[in-house]
Amino acid sequence: MATAQSLHQSRKRKNAVMMALCVIAAGIGLAWLALILGALLYKGLSGVNLAVFTEMTPPPGDAGGLLNAIYGSIVMTIIGIVVGTPIGVLAGTYMAEYGRFSKLTTVVRFINDILLSAPSIIVGLFVYELMVRPMGHFSAIAGAVALSILVIPVVVRTTEDMLNLVPNALREAGTAIGAPRWVVIRSVAYRAALSGIVTGILLAIARISGETAPLLFTALNNQFWSSNLNAPMASLPVTIFQFALSPYEEWQQLAWTGALIITLTVLGLSIIARSLTGRREDR
Amino acid sequence: MKPMLSTDLNVADTIVEKAKIEVKNLNFYYGQSKALKDINLSLPERSVTAFIGPSGCGKSTLLRVLNRIYELYPKQSAEGQVLLDGKNILDRSQDLNLLRTKIGMVFQKPTPFPMSIYENIAFGVRLYEKISKAEMDSRVESALKRAALWNEVKDKLNASGQSLSGGQQQRLCIARTVAVKPEVILLDEPASALDPLSTAKIEELIDELQADYTIVIVTHNMQQAARVSRQTAFMYLGELVEFDRTEKIFTSPREKRTQDYITGRFG
Repeated sequence: MATAQSLHQSRKRKNAVMMALCVIAAGIGLAWLALILGALLYKGLSGVNLAVFTEMTPPPGDAGGLLNAIYGSIVMTIIGIVVGTPIGVLAGTYMAEYGRFSKLTTVVRFINDILLSAPSIIVGLFVYELMVRPMGHFSAIAGAVALSILVIPVVVRTTEDMLNLVPNALREAGTAIGAPRWVVIRSVAYRAALSGIVTGILLAIARISGETAPLLFTALNNQFWSSNLNAPMASLPVTIFQFALSPYEEWQQLAWTGALIITLTVLGLSIIARSLTGRREDR
Repeated sequence: MKPMLSTDLNVADTIVEKAKIEVKNLNFYYGQSKALKDINLSLPERSVTAFIGPSGCGKSTLLRVLNRIYELYPKQSAEGQVLLDGKNILDRSQDLNLLRTKIGMVFQKPTPFPMSIYENIAFGVRLYEKISKAEMDSRVESALKRAALWNEVKDKLNASGQSLSGGQQQRLCIARTVAVKPEVILLDEPASALDPLSTAKIEELIDELQADYTIVIVTHNMQQAARVSRQTAFMYLGELVEFDRTEKIFTSPREKRTQDYITGRFG
């Protein structure tokens, strides 16, 4: 009886210690996030004004905005998503539906996972060799291609995972009513997995909207307004990179503001993605 | 005075109805392992046939051969013959999608599609028929009435099919199957996930549907088989042990294994 009592006590102590460790670890993780957000808000918010969204990036020592960088980021992100998403969704569909039992799927999944965790700078170098060198100059389209290469593995992975979560019984039911394979996929499987697939696409947008390395080698940067896809184009991450390293105070301020804009955009997308997934689980 | 022919009465008593489905020398394999062994069986038109037997005896497998749904999975193969109105549906030339419009199937777990109640039914109809909105409306209504679900859902046809209760979902699946006007309906333990009240409704429905459809039901609830079916096939370890009129199977089976199973000695 006495031993049982002491055993119980020691377990309680161990439990308290472990719980404290977990709380501390969670606290540390959250604290960094809060510090980053706090610093961004503190330093960035003061620089937010209309000029940020209406004026071009200024020469050193001048006031200006981020319009060309914001525009460039949006354009290249959109092209990257538009090019990468269909490829990713179709590849994921192959893996989860048509090729569910094929060896090729295992191989593709393995390679896709490598691509998923490949450093983005390598993707930048790859597109540099593939497009920038043959073309002879940096261009927005090369930047968009680099981004789309980053989009593909994210979308492939989430599409495959989400389609795999669709119960087989639903596919059988669709098949049993006489629907051909592609109708079952389009009208039943996609519909059941829709919010998950959309979440994957949003996550991909969040991922590429902050990428700097692949753009450095491809779209480079542009001090001025340019909507020419065949010419270098500014983007928020590269502008932040350049401005934050500069000795000019105005540039540093714009870098903080740009960082805040990206962070809030990504945060917003993550919240949307989360709420979409949440709704699916509530059902 | 004409003699009263006692033989006539005897003949009427035995099964001489037209066979809707005839299974001949059917073997089925999951990869290398043989799941069905030389099945021979004839399912009469417009009546309910039950497949009973312990878990893993092959009753669901046999059902899944009848609409070739097993072909969704590789390494599953059937050999032998399954004649639907005399035509072998295991033939390579058989169009699978058309076959499945003729042979509908309802599963153990209710499987409403992720769409509205109306669309759940219209979906299957639209696959092979081009009909007007008004015709579709009446088609949906009659299917839901047929499945005894109309009164419960007529005011919320645009609600998600997945918002219904389990029993309602299952009747929705039956309505969906009936809407495409099949000739045969396969039921794979349709009530095993439902409460007794919903089960009773489903059984009532089966009883009504047999006037128009050939129905095959897999169940491991023997009372259910006894209540709803006219013929019962008892299967064990991939073999068809006995196939006869339901009352015969449950009162005086020929085989000892059948006797043991229905009296609860194993299974």
